[in-house]
Parts: sequence; C-alpha cells; structure tokens
Amino acid sequence: MIATRFLELRKRRGLMITLVLVTVGFPTVFLAVRLLLHAVAPKTYGPAGGYSIYTAMSAGVLYTFGFIVAATLGCTAGSVDLSDGMFRHLVITGRSRLAIYLARIPAGLAIIVSLVAVGFTIVCAVCVYAAPSKLSYNGVTVPAGLSQSGLESWAADNATEVLCGFSYNGQSKQGVGCDNGPGGSARVVIAGPGGRPVPASADQAKAAAIDIAQQNYPDYKKQFLYPSNSLMIKTGLWIELEATIGFVVGLGLGSLLGQRTVAVILMIVLEIILTPIAIRTRIPHFINGQRGIVGVATAHLEPAQLPLAFGGGGQDFRVTESTTTAICVILAWLIGWTVLGAWRMMTRDA
Amino acid sequence: MTATDVVAEPDLPASDGSWAVETRGLAKRFGSNVAVNGVDLLIPRGCAFGYLGPNGAGKTTLIRVLLGLTRADAGTMSLLGYSVPRHRDKALARVGAIVDEPRFHGHLTGRQNLQLLAAAREPAARGRIDASLDRVEILRRADDRVSKYSMGMRQRLGVAACLIGDPELLILDEPMNGLDPAGMHDMRDMIRSLVAEGRTVVLSSHLLDEVQRTCDAVAIVDRGNIIRQGPISELLAGTSLTLQVDCSDPDRARSLLAGTNLGAAIDVEAGGLAITLPADTTRDVIAEVARVLVTGGIAVYRLQPVQASLESWFLQVTSRLGDPA
Repeated sequence: MIATRFLELRKRRGLMITLVLVTVGFPTVFLAVRLLLHAVAPKTYGPAGGYSIYTAMSAGVLYTFGFIVAATLGCTAGSVDLSDGMFRHLVITGRSRLAIYLARIPAGLAIIVSLVAVGFTIVCAVCVYAAPSKLSYNGVTVPAGLSQSGLESWAADNATEVLCGFSYNGQSKQGVGCDNGPGGSARVVIAGPGGRPVPASADQAKAAAIDIAQQNYPDYKKQFLYPSNSLMIKTGLWIELEATIGFVVGLGLGSLLGQRTVAVILMIVLEIILTPIAIRTRIPHFINGQRGIVGVATAHLEPAQLPLAFGGGGQDFRVTESTTTAICVILAWLIGWTVLGAWRMMTRDA
Repeated sequence: MTATDVVAEPDLPASDGSWAVETRGLAKRFGSNVAVNGVDLLIPRGCAFGYLGPNGAGKTTLIRVLLGLTRADAGTMSLLGYSVPRHRDKALARVGAIVDEPRFHGHLTGRQNLQLLAAAREPAARGRIDASLDRVEILRRADDRVSKYSMGMRQRLGVAACLIGDPELLILDEPMNGLDPAGMHDMRDMIRSLVAEGRTVVLSSHLLDEVQRTCDAVAIVDRGNIIRQGPISELLAGTSLTLQVDCSDPDRARSLLAGTNLGAAIDVEAGGLAITLPADTTRDVIAEVARVLVTGGIAVYRLQPVQASLESWFLQVTSRLGDPA
C-alpha cells in the first residue's frame, strides 16, 4: 500500500517538478552559475563553494524551502483522495481508514527526504570541492584551520596585514598601530615624541600582531574554507528533520481541512511569518506559547556553526528553551498532527 | 441513538447470513431532514436486486450507510451476514461498490488506479486487475490516464474496481450513467453474468426499463421509506391489464361494453378504447370483448393486451405520481 501511495504522489507531474526545482534545481542552478562565473573570471568572481555559501544554502534556502515543499507535498497527500473522489473507493475496500492514512507517511517521506538529500548533497559537494584555497578574514588572506599558536606565529610573520586588517579592541600592545599613508601604503607605527607616529620596530610590530591574533582567534576559529564532515552530517539531519515536520504537519492539516490550497497557505504563513516573529520577538506573557511553535524548537536544534535560521544572526535566541523542551515540542507536533489528521479521516463522511 | 448504540443493541437477532443485505429500522438524518427512515430491507443472495426511487428518495444515502461511508443514526444492518459497522472490514472485503459518479485520480492510468485499490485489498486482488479490466472491456485503454477517459469509460473502470475484490455482493449506484446503448446492453449482460456466477448485484437506477430487464426483485424507496419490495413478477402480478382497442366507433363500442359484466373501466381515446381489466383477467375475457364488439357491428382493427410496466407501476406507488413536473 505504501508503494502505491508513493506511485500516486510521484505521478503528480506538476507537484514533482515544483519539488525538484526547489530542492534540487534552485541550488544546482545557483551553484552552477557561480562555478561558471568563477571559471570565466576568477579574479572578479570568487569560488562557487566554501563555508559561507554552504551556510547560506543550507540554513537559508534548503531549511526554509525544504519545509515549504514538504508541507505542500503533505497537504497534497492529505487531501487529494478526497478531492479526486478516491477516498470513497478506498473506504469501500474495507481497509481501515487509519491504515490508509498512515500509509501516506512513509510514501511521502520517501519522496521529500530523498529530494532534500539530493539537493543537500549537491550543495555539500560544490561547497567542499569548489571551496576557496585561502581564507579571507577581514579582507586579509589567512591560512585556514590554524591553531591559536599557528595563527600567532603567522601573525608575527605578517604583522603589517594583521595590524592594518584585523579588528582589535582599543590600542594594541605598546600603542602600535597602522598608519595608512597618503600614497595608500600601510605601515606599522608607534607614537613617537610629541605623539607623532614613527615606524615601529620589528619586535614591537610582532608583539602587537600576536596580541591582535589572540584577540581574533575565537572569531577566526569559526571560519572555514569548507564545512567539516560532522557539520555536514548534523546539518543534513537537521534539514531532513525540518522537511519531515513540514510533511507530517502538512499531511495532518490537509486531512483535517480536506483541501490543499488553504492548508498550504497556512503552512507557508507558519514558516515564513509566524516562526521568524516568534524567534526574534519576546512577547510578554506568551513566552511558553512561542516555545510551543515548532519552528522555534527546530531552530534551537540547529548546528552551532550555522547562522541562526530565519536570519536571526548567530545563536542569540531571544526565546530560549532547553533541548529537551525543543524535542518534546517537535514530538508533540508530529504526534499531534498525525492524530488529528487520522481522526478526521476516520470520522469523515466519504 | 448513535451508530455505537446500534452495535450494542442486544435484543436484535444476529444475521444468519441468508441475506446479502439485511437492515432493520435503519435511519439517517441530516438535521431535520430524514433521508433514511427506519428502513427494513432484505436482499436475497444470488439475485439482481433493483433499488428504485425518485430523486431525493434516499437511495444513495442508504447505500452510503451500508458501506460505512457515513454513519447510521439508528437501526441495525448486516452485509453478507456480517454485522456492520462492527465487522465492517470483513464485510467490505467481499463487497464491491460504485457510489454516485465514479471518480479516480485523473493523473494515473486506469491500471494504476486499480493497483492503488488492489493494494488496500487482499494480495490476490492485484492478480485480478487485468481480468477485471478485460471484463469491462477497457483493457486496451488501461494504460491511458483516467483524465482522458469518457464518462462511460470511468463507469466501466468503476465496475472493474468492484471486481478486483472478487466480491460476493456488488452495489452499483446508477451504473448505466454515461453508457451508450451498446454499453448499457453490455452492462446488462455483465450484471446477469455476475448473478449467474452466484454473486448478488444491487442496482440503484432511475432507468426502470433497464431494471426490469436486469433485475429479479426490486425495492421501491420514497421519502426515506421502503414502500414495496419483492420479486418483480410478483409485484407486477397485482397490477391491472390494459386492453388497447382500435375500432370504428369508439363511443358506441364503449356503450356496448358498458352493458356487459366485464368489470372493466373504459376510456375513449383517439381512434379507440383503453379498457382496464383486473389483474387476474384471462384470455377468455379478452375474447369476450372482441365478440361483443364484432357482434355489435363495430369494426375492430387492433386489440392488444398491455401488461403494466415497472415504470407505470413505479409511478403508481410512489408519491411523485401527480406531482407537478
């Protein structure tokens, strides 16, 4: 029965084209264009892959649009038997309505999970294999993956770039700083007699550069040429979780309402309006309600190295919750909507 | 009373399985509108049974209740000896049905739609798909998308969907809809062949002539009530016989016949008479009518006995008779 449900969904040409375009087509075209541009004009256009592209494509595109297309598929699976008049035929077979409903879950997940996996694999592959060979940190080309001592050692050897490129808090050690001369050439200087800048000695510059490297290391260590294997696995699972939630909730809502369009609109509103608001805004006396929104819970489970979903910027959640709470909220949504959808299907006149 | 109460009623006898369909006091309301009103229906096994009624009489609602598509408000019912809704799954596994217009997934082929339905039935159903498609004569178009099917083809596909379950009982709601005359003929033959195989076919239809040709027994439903049920031959046996007479002087012919003790109602029509005789009229009475007319000098051009049809009987017994069109 699962196989035939899979067939029924897979044969919906328009829907499948949309799903493939969003989950696979859009990332593929975007990355292909970047690959092409970089190949044609490498100095003007940076590498197609890399860490920043990875985070944008995974946390920005696949996460949000994966949810929306999964929800669309779920709403379709939950309502089309009714709208196409097949529900009656299925009920007359004598098979329990619950079994008919539950068969849609693995069938739909087989489609959406595999499509999201393909899209994500393409993103990972391009981001790893077309990553830049050097890291651009504050506009300074720095070797990637250095330890703190390695970064300090590199900074000592490249004091001028560090002092003139890296950001640092207040005065650097011994008042050493960067002076961008009228000719555009930068030089490392130190306050001389009367406060006038004079060229710093090599030792003074090295000491200041090492000091700045120490300040910047916590930020530097978050910079990668390309995502690590563990990050890609965590991100993949996180995106698949979001797609699964989108499908299951969409299925339940579609079954509950009995029609697709309204259900899809409600799911889109949830994902791109309600959830971002709930994440970014602290509504007095409604914090627990905000925590109960599934998007807030899944955002909480986002891998730490990714920027906050929905453009929140980092891990600075305004609505905080424990991981246990987040997992409970997600389970409640999955089970709750499945029960609601199945209940409606079991009680509905066919 | 709720559907749950129906199941729990202990004082009603369990079905012994001798009836294909058995309902007692079955009722279904939609707000204040009573669609099915305490229906007692007995459909014997192995026959073609017509289920007739005017529009809005509650035919389809009763079928929907029987099939578990909607819940009964009161009463008991059983299909093939299985009490429903308690043993609905076991009963429906042996039932095939078309309710209202047969609709399918238009983006799938006929075969794929049947695969979808076969997957919900026992494993053997999958093996019957081709045979079912062949039996309703759409095997050639089985791999076309249903959206390209005509109404008649969808009707045939609906029957094929019934057949994949190898049903003992088929409930067909207006199966002739959308069929051309040849298709209706084929459908009639198929229904008879299904009955010949020992299956029970319940046929809900407005086409009374088709029902009369196809079915062994009928039930007439009106305003949610079964008003008559039984074998067609028995039901029509109680109806009057009309003698159509084309003759030279209808008024004088009427006067001649009025002077006899035939017990006939005589109406003068254009070019002749319509003589309504009791149901048990014998051939001798017809001969006596001819003799009286000829002896009285009336030229008789045609004398034809007409037995009441199911249609005329239906109009007599349903409340729609005399309703404004």
